Amino acid sequence: MALSANLLAAPVAAPLLTAALILMVARWGGRTLIRHQVALTALALCLNLGIALTLFFGAAVQGRRFVLQFGNWTAPFGITAYADGLSATLLLLTAIVALAVYPFAVATIDYHRARMGFHPLYLFLLMGVNGAFLSGDLFNLYVFFEVLLMASFVLLTVGAQPAQTNSGIRYVVLNLLASTVFLVAAGVAYGTLGTLNMAQIAERLPLASEAVRTIFAGLLMVAFGSKAALFPLFFWLPASYHTPPPAVTALFGGLLTKVGIYTLFRSFTLFFPELLLSWQPALLTIAGATMLVGALGALAQPGIRRVLSFHIISHVGFMLMGLAVALSGNSLAIGFGLGAAILYLCHHMIIKTALIMAGGAVELYMGSDRLASIGGLVTRQPLLAFLFFMAAISLAGVPPFSGFVSKLSLLQITLDTRHWVVSGVSVFASLLTMINMMRLWRESFWDEYSRPSRVPSRLLQSTRRQWMMLVPVAILVLFSLGLGIFGEPAFRLSMKVAQNALDRDAYIEAVSPSALYSSDLRRGAFYTTGPTIPGGNTLSSTTLGEPPWPAR
Amino acid sequence: MTSLLLALAVGSLFATGTYMIMRRGQIKLILGLALLSHGVNLLLFGSGKLTAGRPPIFLDKRHYTETLAAFQPADPLPQALILTAIVISFGITAFVIVLVNRRHTVTATDYVHGEFVPLLREGDPFDFSESSEIDQYDWLAYEVDEVYDSDDLSTGFPPTPQSEQDESAAMEEKSYRWP
Repeated sequence: MALSANLLAAPVAAPLLTAALILMVARWGGRTLIRHQVALTALALCLNLGIALTLFFGAAVQGRRFVLQFGNWTAPFGITAYADGLSATLLLLTAIVALAVYPFAVATIDYHRARMGFHPLYLFLLMGVNGAFLSGDLFNLYVFFEVLLMASFVLLTVGAQPAQTNSGIRYVVLNLLASTVFLVAAGVAYGTLGTLNMAQIAERLPLASEAVRTIFAGLLMVAFGSKAALFPLFFWLPASYHTPPPAVTALFGGLLTKVGIYTLFRSFTLFFPELLLSWQPALLTIAGATMLVGALGALAQPGIRRVLSFHIISHVGFMLMGLAVALSGNSLAIGFGLGAAILYLCHHMIIKTALIMAGGAVELYMGSDRLASIGGLVTRQPLLAFLFFMAAISLAGVPPFSGFVSKLSLLQITLDTRHWVVSGVSVFASLLTMINMMRLWRESFWDEYSRPSRVPSRLLQSTRRQWMMLVPVAILVLFSLGLGIFGEPAFRLSMKVAQNALDRDAYIEAVSPSALYSSDLRRGAFYTTGPTIPGGNTLSSTTLGEPPWPAR
Repeated sequence: MTSLLLALAVGSLFATGTYMIMRRGQIKLILGLALLSHGVNLLLFGSGKLTAGRPPIFLDKRHYTETLAAFQPADPLPQALILTAIVISFGITAFVIVLVNRRHTVTATDYVHGEFVPLLREGDPFDFSESSEIDQYDWLAYEVDEVYDSDDLSTGFPPTPQSEQDESAAMEEKSYRWP
């Protein structure tokens, strides 16, 4: 079956239409209508998984590139949706994470939050994340960022408990600042390059002046680094992730920072790959500091979810380290670092979601997640203890699991490219991760059994709900185990994805943003007579230098 | 000259917005966010060339580039971008106002503080063992079973613990927590 590029609209359309349907027909209802909402949402999530699997097969396995020009408007004038291996991998992982968290969410979200629109918001968040992965246009990327941010604002604060509103303020303000910086970057791109289409930006950016490139890259780095919770910009994350219900934290921890990481990958491979070399010391410093600060910060935290949210920061540093060495090394290993980072991203999304869900289950059984006041759960919840342990050692990087393969490949490329300090820091951060995970497991499962500070609610004691909490964790842990056992094929696939992502010429050719006036370009009219396209007014031959093609 | 004025306006809006965000009152925070979004909108406006007196239209489709080069029409795209950005920032500002209002109701405080709120207090600033009661883990304040079993669907959220008390007395007592 030939895959149509129209499929690219589906990951955005399916959640959006389902959420709209829910809001229309099953709005604010009683228990029956909530059940309808749950059924519709689950249906949309399964559909999303199917679409993502199809796209993954086409884009990552077969290595194709899908481009959809909405309304058949040619590239720089219309809106472009684009999917290659990197987008499709992240779409698939997003679908898996969203579907896995959903049973947990249904089991643990209380009726009032459900009534205030938890289920449609879940779909809106999914829609924003999917749209950000598929966007081929800088401004559309901003819009999808705002969609997912708005959904996450409401998911974070619905319920309006004091802790939630406090963390909500910090989260909202810091994320809005990052969005503002991103919008400034979009304005700079349009003002200096005359376009917002990402392929056309990539086409024109090498011809722009050094100052424009540096400013644009710096703005994007600040904006996306803040979304990804890199070292000096991560404060919104540990300030907020411990306050909403655990299902929301699991969803956020699985998806939100990964959007930032994806956009960092995309912008550095597409817009300014040369900065991967010239900015490499700075990137590696940021990566090392992120790893170290995350791991050390986790060591000082008193609660399960606080520890886990600091570990999200720590592991984002690992991915940035892989990106920073993507173009280093000998020519045969081009993309090795990015491939390792993508594998690490997959591992991290899966296992972090599983860990936060397991930690949330502990919190629900004990009534609190303060390590000082919980303990001894291993005799009462042996399966939960087992799953938590497996997920914890996978996060720390113990062999049969995916953490080992991905950490090993990252370490290999950093050692090969002789970045001794940052590889030492990453090993140290892994050690701290191990210590922290063991601390979590020991404190919650192995201490004296302490009576829960809050009686676990009767519904949470029902067998069905317990299975709904544990089965997703088990599936994700099994997934991580499979990714670890079949490490080599997984790594080969992620290498292929990385090399596809690094091939910026193929991206530009697939979108072909200059097809409409390519005849003018061939004549050189664009660079001799000055601007001839809307918005391109500030481009002139003085800033552009020599055109990239030989003169006729 | 016009672009210099525009640059000055953008810069001052950014400066004022940043200053307002870094102050500690919640309302000032909202104003700061609004000013920042205005600054960005103006910046987007300036990203197209400032063309006075020319319409953003051209009619000759066949001689596209030639007409464009000769005519230099105004660029309509920044206005579309600004419109989108205005709508987004409008929605977000509305949300932030509601959030701030709700926060003022449930915590009876106007100050925006970070994780290190114990710094403002006596004693060891890094002693997290007894954090302020605001930061308790109370997301499960709604007892799930009771809520599911009750058929009373008329009310929205159940009253928070603070608002069960006499509200005015509580507000008076708590609004001066950090003078």
